[in-house]
Amino acid sequence: MIYAKKKEMIAMLLAGGQGSRLGVLTKDVAKPAVPFGGKYRIIDFPLSNCVNSGIDTIGVLTQYQPLELNTYIGNGQPWDLDRINGGVSILPPYVKGKAGEWYKGTANAIYQNSNFIEMYHPDYVLILSGDHVYKMNYELMLDFHKETQADCTIAVIQVPYEEASRFGVMSTYENRQVYEFEEKPEDPKSNLASMGVYIFTWEKLKSYLIQDENDPESENDFGKNVIPAMLNAGERMFAYTYGGYWKDVGTIESLWEANMDILDPNVPLKLNDPPWKIYARNTGQPPHYVGDHAELKNCTISEGCMVYGKVDHSIIFPSVTIGSGAKVSNSIIMPNVTIGEGAVIEYAIIGENAVIDRGATIGCVNAAKLSGDHREITVIGQNIRIGALHCVTAGEMVEENTPREELSK
Amino acid sequence: MNVLGIIFAYAEKDNLRELTKPRTLASLPIGGKYRMIDFILSNFVNSNIFDVSIITKNNYHSLIDHVGSGKEWDLTRKIGGLRVLTPFASPDAKGNGIYNSRVEALAYNMNSIKSSRAEYIIMTDCSTIYNIDYEELLRFHIERHADITAVYTNKILDPSLMAYDMPLLTLNESCRIEDFRLSSDEKSRRTDDFKSSTDDGAAINRSSGLGVFVIRKSLLESLIADAMAYGRFDFYKDILQRLCGSLNIQGYEYTKFFMGIDSISSYMRANLKLLDTEIRNKVFENVVYTKVKDSVPAEYVSGCVIRNSIISDGCRIEGTIENCVLSRGVKIAKGSIVRNSVIMQNTTIMEDVNLNYVILDKDVIVRENRKLSGHETFPVVIEKGTIV
Repeated sequence: MIYAKKKEMIAMLLAGGQGSRLGVLTKDVAKPAVPFGGKYRIIDFPLSNCVNSGIDTIGVLTQYQPLELNTYIGNGQPWDLDRINGGVSILPPYVKGKAGEWYKGTANAIYQNSNFIEMYHPDYVLILSGDHVYKMNYELMLDFHKETQADCTIAVIQVPYEEASRFGVMSTYENRQVYEFEEKPEDPKSNLASMGVYIFTWEKLKSYLIQDENDPESENDFGKNVIPAMLNAGERMFAYTYGGYWKDVGTIESLWEANMDILDPNVPLKLNDPPWKIYARNTGQPPHYVGDHAELKNCTISEGCMVYGKVDHSIIFPSVTIGSGAKVSNSIIMPNVTIGEGAVIEYAIIGENAVIDRGATIGCVNAAKLSGDHREITVIGQNIRIGALHCVTAGEMVEENTPREELSK
Repeated sequence: MNVLGIIFAYAEKDNLRELTKPRTLASLPIGGKYRMIDFILSNFVNSNIFDVSIITKNNYHSLIDHVGSGKEWDLTRKIGGLRVLTPFASPDAKGNGIYNSRVEALAYNMNSIKSSRAEYIIMTDCSTIYNIDYEELLRFHIERHADITAVYTNKILDPSLMAYDMPLLTLNESCRIEDFRLSSDEKSRRTDDFKSSTDDGAAINRSSGLGVFVIRKSLLESLIADAMAYGRFDFYKDILQRLCGSLNIQGYEYTKFFMGIDSISSYMRANLKLLDTEIRNKVFENVVYTKVKDSVPAEYVSGCVIRNSIISDGCRIEGTIENCVLSRGVKIAKGSIVRNSVIMQNTTIMEDVNLNYVILDKDVIVRENRKLSGHETFPVVIEKGTIV
């Protein structure tokens, strides 16, 4: 075995999920590689959190559409993870002996990479997922884990009771020790929801992973199998309460909301935080240019953009061109999108490299359906072209080019 | 490519006053988030040259801080890579290793230059922003069997953007250079020559050097050793001018856009030129790399008014800006109106400030209700770290 320096704690980042609820946005990329927040990708958050918390050894487990994600992570340099000891390692499923297998579940993915973890002889393993937006100091959570002499610490966040049934919910004693865990209960007994962030004492986890692997009935999932098994066996499990901003961006609606949260001064998601920067791979674009007749209101704009139109309450990613007379409001425009003159985009997410031709309308009002307090979100997939003057109805998810000839006036 | 790039990080003469007091010319911020040297380093990297030395002379701390190990330019290489050469004060170095001329600078750094595996050297100043393919330049040099190739331009797009020290070249029909003269020798050049020629639109019949040269490394070594032995320290006068009869010195014409920066007014103009989309597209034709700061995207608050401006990441705009170039992390508070100005990194402008033709260096704070106004040819310059 290659000599590797012992690490107190290493992180394993589960980034193999398809994120099917994001529809066309994850057709060609894994969910963690979905752009977020004007210049980031979702995976930048857990990666940056690790680095800012002093964790320099991270295994990223990939499975679904890994190409873009692998290229994005590269040697880990943007996150300062190009290290001699440790750094970031991409861990795809591989062939062992005669047979190889896909990752069957979250626990199985870790089990299959036990050798990687063992290389660093860690005392603790931090399990993360690549689809949440939050800033968290895992070092404080490790301190709590050590103080309570826990075998497993689960980060939890308080959610309204009516939403608790979407999460894994923890019931605890006053000292935060968990006595009951329910995965997506219909009638939640507590409002402490699991954030999908776990610290395990490695020796303990290893034995449960082996036990779980030998159980043919198991779905090999942390929330469904491993955690309940540990609880039933009476292991010391504690809930670590996190008080900051945390959002699962697994659906179109929540992805849109989380982006809009950046623009809301009342939401405690502050990205401009020099001691806790979120790092991202840089695009090498020049600063953006704003033309003479542009109108900007409550928005963020990134490098390489050329803005000649109106932008209101929107997040504009790098290298986006917004033509004169175009109006973008309440929308997320992902990298490299071109928006033609006079196009109107409302309540929409426009995927990477899409082209919205002159005069097209995205998120048409006439057929507007209401979802909560705003119009339904329209999504245009990556590399899609919407022809001139074409109209896309609110709530639609566009996967195919609309031809230019098809002019609906 | 078989080339060592040498960049002179300082200008022999410049008139950038407060702007080059805290820093050497190479690390002068320009175009929002860039420094002068970014354009030159990117030229090398985009031409597949990954062996680059930067010769510094004084106040180079900000430059070293900026380039670091060269990571951001992909210059952290095992073979070649980036080297920053500083004056080398060893007990037996002449004049304590401090150099006053280009010849001395090369001579004192010759050990490092010799250790490169490259066969050719491309030397460049950093007072000009240009966009050249060095690979093509080297091909020209080899094809013409040149001893030295000097890059020149006939296309003076805007004489006011020419660096003061650009040498004037006289070429014969076969592009061989017959004479070198420093423009500073001809004091009237700028006011008469160029002004009259641009006024009536006529071409200028003399060519101007861009301060870029190709030379075989072994030839440079012997030329410098020779010049040092005879105490001839002026690269232009004692090497190029003296030897253009005996050496085959070829001229390579550069026809694309360039901007020379050697004074406050040319610095101001060069920044404002970048507001022209056509010029910006030329300057950023190839990727220009710079140090990554991981700032957040620029934030525009309701009530802000933006006209024809370049804005970098990390800015927060609540006021009005028109014809401005903003570097990273600039804050402009409500009620402030900033026109025709260049604002460097992390400068803060508080409420109800009015600025016109002002250059604000890094970390400046302009307090409430201040009014500053300069002129295009004479902008107000506020030194780094000042509280106005």
